[in-house]
Amino acid sequence: MSAFLARNRLIVLAYAGMVVLLLVTALFSPGFLSVSNMRSTVVLAAFVGIVALGQTFVIIGGGIDLSVPWVLNSAAIVMALLCGGQDLPLVWVMPLLLAGGAFIGLINGVGVAQFGVPPIIMTLATNVILQGLILVLTGGSPTPSAPALIQYLSVGRIGAFPVIALIWLALTLVATLLLSKAAFGRHLYALGTSATVAEFSGVPTARTTILTYVISGLTAAFAGMLLTGYSGQAYLGMGDAYLFTSIAAVAIGGASILGGSGHYLGTVAGAMVLTILTGLLPALNLSSGALLIVYGAVILLTVSIGSETFAGLGGKMRRKES
Amino acid sequence: MDLVTVNGLSKRYGGIVALSEATFSARAGEVHALLGENGAGKSTFIQILSGAVQHDGGSILVDGQDYRPANPDAAQVRGIAAVFQELSLIPDLSVEQNIWFRHEPRTLLRTVNRAEMRRKTLALLEKYNFPVLRPDQELRRLTLAERQIVEIAKGLAKDPRILILDEATSALPAREAEWLLKLTRQLAAEGRLVIFISHRMAEVRAIADRLTIFRNGSTIAVHEANAVSDNEIVTQMIGRHLDRLYPERIATATDRIALSVKNFSSGSRLSGVDFALREGEVLGVGGLQGHGQRELFQALFGASKASGTIELWGKPVSIANPRQALIGKDGIALVPEDRRGQGLLLTKSVRENLTLSVIRRFTENGLLSRQKEAALVKEMVDFLRIKAGTPEQLAGTLSGGNQQKVIFGKMLLTQARVLLLYDPTRGVDVGTKGEIFQLMRDLAAKGYAILFHSSDMPELVHVADRVLVMRNGGVAATLEGDRISEAGILRAAMLESEAA
Ligand SMILES: Nc1ncnc2c1ncn2[C@@H]1O[C@H](COP(=O)(O)OP(=O)(O)OP(=O)(O)O)[C@@H](O)[C@H]1O
Ligand SMILES: [Mg+2]
Repeated sequence: MSAFLARNRLIVLAYAGMVVLLLVTALFSPGFLSVSNMRSTVVLAAFVGIVALGQTFVIIGGGIDLSVPWVLNSAAIVMALLCGGQDLPLVWVMPLLLAGGAFIGLINGVGVAQFGVPPIIMTLATNVILQGLILVLTGGSPTPSAPALIQYLSVGRIGAFPVIALIWLALTLVATLLLSKAAFGRHLYALGTSATVAEFSGVPTARTTILTYVISGLTAAFAGMLLTGYSGQAYLGMGDAYLFTSIAAVAIGGASILGGSGHYLGTVAGAMVLTILTGLLPALNLSSGALLIVYGAVILLTVSIGSETFAGLGGKMRRKES
Repeated sequence: MDLVTVNGLSKRYGGIVALSEATFSARAGEVHALLGENGAGKSTFIQILSGAVQHDGGSILVDGQDYRPANPDAAQVRGIAAVFQELSLIPDLSVEQNIWFRHEPRTLLRTVNRAEMRRKTLALLEKYNFPVLRPDQELRRLTLAERQIVEIAKGLAKDPRILILDEATSALPAREAEWLLKLTRQLAAEGRLVIFISHRMAEVRAIADRLTIFRNGSTIAVHEANAVSDNEIVTQMIGRHLDRLYPERIATATDRIALSVKNFSSGSRLSGVDFALREGEVLGVGGLQGHGQRELFQALFGASKASGTIELWGKPVSIANPRQALIGKDGIALVPEDRRGQGLLLTKSVRENLTLSVIRRFTENGLLSRQKEAALVKEMVDFLRIKAGTPEQLAGTLSGGNQQKVIFGKMLLTQARVLLLYDPTRGVDVGTKGEIFQLMRDLAAKGYAILFHSSDMPELVHVADRVLVMRNGGVAATLEGDRISEAGILRAAMLESEAA
């Protein structure tokens, strides 16, 4: 047990942070811990969590995916356009858009792994290109409202549980299996730790890299569709917030931004922390500008407390030179 | 009076005892060898002396005064500099920038005085008769041996009274190692103390005035070098008697060709290499450093692009990357040159490192079986006697020789029967070296085929069945039987006419 704690110190820290934050928030706004409020917090966190799932894989592998905002946004808008408010077309629209998201991921991955384009440049470029395509496609006009089925997936409930929370749970399970129980996970950590050593060890480095971006494309597109159900409509710019939050959730969850470490279980806590924070700040009665500043500062602080460097100040990291 | 006196020195890492009550003393003007098997605590000891690590207990006196450096800068102020076993250089900087790192000569405006830095670099290289190095070359372009030489220059640039060399010769080819030994004597003659760590007995014999032997973190014995035999030293080091370092060379090669290479070229360093490696054979690859040995091993393994034909067990193959090289029983496995850069994930556990290449073998229906993995890991750790607290210890915290064993074990776990061993005993203690040679012979007897390079020429002479001598990227000669000798290899490496 203590070995488990030692190895996953940062993940445990993230959960501890989450609990502390919950209590603090409850102090400022009584009623925050009510069932209905908890439920809506988890729903909001689920969107961050699902986008951050793909981001977790990419970051562990040593990359970063900056294309999530417009992959998400494109999926949302194209879905709304193709469905025209009807449920039936979802049968083919959903698979199509998931495939589309995966395809964008494939392009990102091939660019990074085969052509050696730095991840930041590669994914930034696809993000901008998608943005342009969507602007051309919609001409800026509003889209039809979201199909009822999608709305059910994102705001509906099964018994006491939000549907999306259950979806998130299932995805968490899959991600955990991939990271902890599959050869792919081992390869991924090796790749993120040292691409050269991984290559010399026979790890399929290119394939592994590409797969992470494909997963990220998938989860971003999926989140885009669900988010449309949540807001009832798709609109331009709805993905923008998720660039920062998806990366921050991974970092708060204890992953090194340089790759090779971290786990999706940590990211789940990260997504919760970020969402609780957005609940706490309005309770402080700040202006919206001041709110953003505090939000950014708090995230910075959380991430640095969790990060290796800061942990090093406390625990005096023993890194062996020889 | 002794320059350094150490008493009761202790250091623990969690549950692992690296040093326990070690003692040590050395005088100015001597070469003092520090010996001990892998994990005995030698590197930990010199890390403490040089301020890189702090001890838990005991005392150190330098010049009779208490000494407890908080960091390497503090050690340097007292005139102590170390050349670490695992290099501490920065790949993006040039040779001279590395040598003077954080101690660059400054102009009046506090900017780096490049002209002065160049002048001081050239003076330093000249004074100690360094092998050719270009001060402006980027470090990442240098070979491991060249980096080691830069590291030595960096240590000397501090003009230390006490210079510590931790296995500095292990990455050096014969000529450069020879130079370093001469340099070591010269430094001692100048009145400095050199603390010299090496697993090569011949070197220790050639230069040490006295020697201190560590075992399991404690001091076992101190000797005047000329009053003790090799046998006694080795017995005290490993705690048992070692009959012979090199196993008997029983020819086990069959007529079956395991690896046949024709007109094999890669980059500008390897051109038109032909040879055949037979089943059951240990084929040595020698010659002067930088004549294509490294390129040959890497290209055969698919780690760099190459042209020409390769046949494995009679079948033509094309190997575009290491993954293809490692596939199945007919594959090729490599022990790479650079153990930290190519061989090990330093921040991952011994277990994860050992099984990385074969992790798929432990999956059932796509899921890993930790029991199966743990069982095989335990078997390998026991077999190679890897000294680790648990298999979960991070590979980067193992002693140098034990890191090398993990790489060896990782290669053995692949099912490949053609093995490319590039300096597999680098940094490995004598006892284990003997075991590795025996293991190589055993594997050969089982039908493995082994291509073997060593920077320590006697190893080639005593272990290989035949030796390919490389020159200018090609095979200059193939030595067999009585013609395998250090002199023979050197002659073939240097004479144009020896072509076979
Ligand atoms: N940071 C660390 N964390 C845990 N264990 C460590 C650490 N550093 C050293 N050790 C342990 O301390 C012991 C002594 O290691 P040390 O590197 O001093 O051996 P050494 O005598 O230099 O061996 P070698 O000949 O293989 O280089 C080893 O068992 C090693 O695993
Ligand atoms: Mg050592």
